[in-house]
Amino acid sequence: MKIRASLIAFLFCALAIPSVLAQADVEFAKANEEFAQGHFKEAISGYEALIRAGQWSANVFYDLGNAYFRTGDFGRAILNYERALALQRHHPEATANLQIARDEAHALEIQPSWLERYLQFASVNQYTITAAVAFWIAVFCLAALIFTRRRSAARVTLLLVMLLVFAGATFATWQLERGSKGMALAIVIGKDVQARLATADTANSVLALPPGSEVKILSTRGDWTYAALPNSLRGWIPAKNAERVRL
Amino acid sequence: MRCRILFVAIAAIAAAQFARADPPSVTAVLSNSEAVVGETVELQIKVTGPGDARPPEEISLDGLEIHATGTSRQFEIHNFNTNSSVTYNYTVLPLRAGRFTIPPQIVRAGGKLLRTPELILNVADSSGGSSGARPSRGRQSQPTRAGDLLFAELIVPKKVAYVGEIVPVQIRMGFDPRVRPRLIEPPEIAGQGFTAQKLQQSGQSSETINGRPYDVVTYKTAIAAARAGKFELGPVKAKAQVIIPRARSAPRSRSRSPFDLFDLDDPFSDPFFSNPFAQVGERREVEIKSEPVALEVKSLPTNAPPSFSGAIGNFVMTTDANPKSVQVGDPITVTSAISGRGNFDRVNPPLLEDDRGWHKYPPSSKFKQDDEVGISGTKTFETVLSPNEKKQTVPLLAFSYFDPAKEQYVTLRSDPIAIAVQGEAATTQNVAASQPASPSPAIAVAPQGTQKPQDILYQLTDRPATAESFTPLYTRPVFWTAQLVPFLALIGFAGWKIRRARIDNREARRISALQHEAAELMHKLRRNAASPREYYAEASRVVRVKTALASGGGGVDPNVVDAETAADTFKLNSDSRDQLRRLFEQSDEWQYSGAHNGPATISPENRREVLELIENLK
Repeated sequence: MKIRASLIAFLFCALAIPSVLAQADVEFAKANEEFAQGHFKEAISGYEALIRAGQWSANVFYDLGNAYFRTGDFGRAILNYERALALQRHHPEATANLQIARDEAHALEIQPSWLERYLQFASVNQYTITAAVAFWIAVFCLAALIFTRRRSAARVTLLLVMLLVFAGATFATWQLERGSKGMALAIVIGKDVQARLATADTANSVLALPPGSEVKILSTRGDWTYAALPNSLRGWIPAKNAERVRL
Repeated sequence: MRCRILFVAIAAIAAAQFARADPPSVTAVLSNSEAVVGETVELQIKVTGPGDARPPEEISLDGLEIHATGTSRQFEIHNFNTNSSVTYNYTVLPLRAGRFTIPPQIVRAGGKLLRTPELILNVADSSGGSSGARPSRGRQSQPTRAGDLLFAELIVPKKVAYVGEIVPVQIRMGFDPRVRPRLIEPPEIAGQGFTAQKLQQSGQSSETINGRPYDVVTYKTAIAAARAGKFELGPVKAKAQVIIPRARSAPRSRSRSPFDLFDLDDPFSDPFFSNPFAQVGERREVEIKSEPVALEVKSLPTNAPPSFSGAIGNFVMTTDANPKSVQVGDPITVTSAISGRGNFDRVNPPLLEDDRGWHKYPPSSKFKQDDEVGISGTKTFETVLSPNEKKQTVPLLAFSYFDPAKEQYVTLRSDPIAIAVQGEAATTQNVAASQPASPSPAIAVAPQGTQKPQDILYQLTDRPATAESFTPLYTRPVFWTAQLVPFLALIGFAGWKIRRARIDNREARRISALQHEAAELMHKLRRNAASPREYYAEASRVVRVKTALASGGGGVDPNVVDAETAADTFKLNSDSRDQLRRLFEQSDEWQYSGAHNGPATISPENRREVLELIENLK
């Protein structure tokens, strides 16, 4: 009985997925049509409906960023370009439009450290795969050294190299995840946002953050977010005025 | 008996207290530090401690007549702590006006020479007008006396101020040291129409006012009037708990306190303070209140300059810019420091007089106060400017304030700061802003150009078949599930290797056993002690074992080896093959045809032949 129920569920899913995808394609095409006709708000609604449905892709975020750009909401435009680049590092259109939006908004960027700049030649996922492959090669080398009587110098060297690669890739993953483009990256979407010394509107201002500025969320207290700001500053900003890049 | 023990105990405690009595000390006070010519002032020299004291009999000072008037002696027990003191009284009669210093007097007490403190007496002439240093309180409120034990006074240095002007205010609260005050509500300035800054305690001192000693606590704050008009500032109110003697119901019949020189009905003349067992003192909550002070507040003149933001006081401004040589679009940090005295909360960044061709970023500010209440100090503003075109100077900064002393607005302007701006305006470029001196933090901003902004790229209409994810690979379950593949491969590899090792081990043990058996048999064959039956059986067994060993790890059973197999294995020639065949035949013959067929012994030649044959099997 159970097997039959599982089989039915599997078949239902197998049949439903293509239908959902087809529906998403229709909605995406419709949003693009709205954009082409200059109905940017309707296009935004369409793209956001796709995103709410979990149909995330770099192109959807890129198109949504374009729609926000056309409405003059540079903060959200930059946020969505950043999301497109978070999904697909090499997205030339998103990179180009992000730069234009930043120039328009005078958005501030968190400058990555020199180490982070060097490590950014690969993505976190690439480092993760590298670390996993190196780990298993090292483990197999070790097993071979244990189970064979002859200690081959080449095998020992390979083991050491793979351990180094594993350690380096793990460190790179950790460094990138906590770096300026890591999991805590958020974009200021509000206008006239001031980072303040304390969680009060009357507290002294630390830095004025134009829309689209990058911040790194450190902690949240109530309606306020404590964030690392450009220029190595830190301050409190209203939580509603910044959104994380990663959903 | 019990009473005697109690008495002895009390006496012992008292003796112990005497034994650790404090060393003698001496103080000297004037009943008033200010007097007029012809008005007597009392001088008291009080010697505290055990032993006799010898005070100065006569004090000579030009301009003052000082005579001894008597001695009073006190003996106190407080918490089993005894204390005795002798007060020597003198009258001081000023003969002329001036400032007199009564030098320290030598008092011999308890075998020691003690010195009184130096005392100052300011004497005015009889027509009035003090020549001393005591400030006149004519412009302030007079102390409000609460049973002469405590007072509060509000000191406001100005009677006229402007709306928003910061006026420093001082509050003095004095307590007779003997009331042991405990402040339960800090002083607060009552009144409306002004804002007051946080009260800061600025000092504590002992003063003699009208012949009475007071511990005076001074607080400082600053007020700013919110609207024009005539105000009454204060009174200052505070609450304290003090110890006061119980009220007397009977007429005064006790002796005067040595501090009650002028019979001012000092409540501390109460016997409670000399004998706590006689009466009980009360801790009472009292309100301390000063007199209010009138303050007239005027409106600011209407002709305020555009750069006036409400600053009132007296200020100076210094400016600087850094760096002075930049490219178009590069940031320049302009630092302007406004120092002086006034309402710094209304001191806003100076305005740029002409910001055409400049992009301006929101300024930052910091304030360093030079006093307790923050009405004097330096407020520093940092403004980041970015030239959009070639410039030779930083724009002039203007800061205006109202000077209440001059009663007019003053505008400060920065001196022109020369800079060098290179290059042309770029369409899009990254520039470091805000903190150009700092190497690491940089901001990507675009200069506010006059050119039309670039347009964004087109929409993308293709969409991947599967949704993408922001989740890093290392947090996805599929990644960790995929690790099962190499893990299982590792388990398989390890299992295979272990099995191989076990098999190899078993074969090695079998070979070792065969080698051992062959060696044993060869040893027996060389000893010549065996019967022909045993000899040929062992010889053929050696051949079988050697053949099994020579055939490698194939697992050949020695029991199934025959002469032909052995000969083939060792590739023997025909003679040796015949010999081997005969050896096996003889062995079989001895084994299966009975023990008594053939000779009972083997000849040495036969033995040698057999041994040679076996040893050549390699």
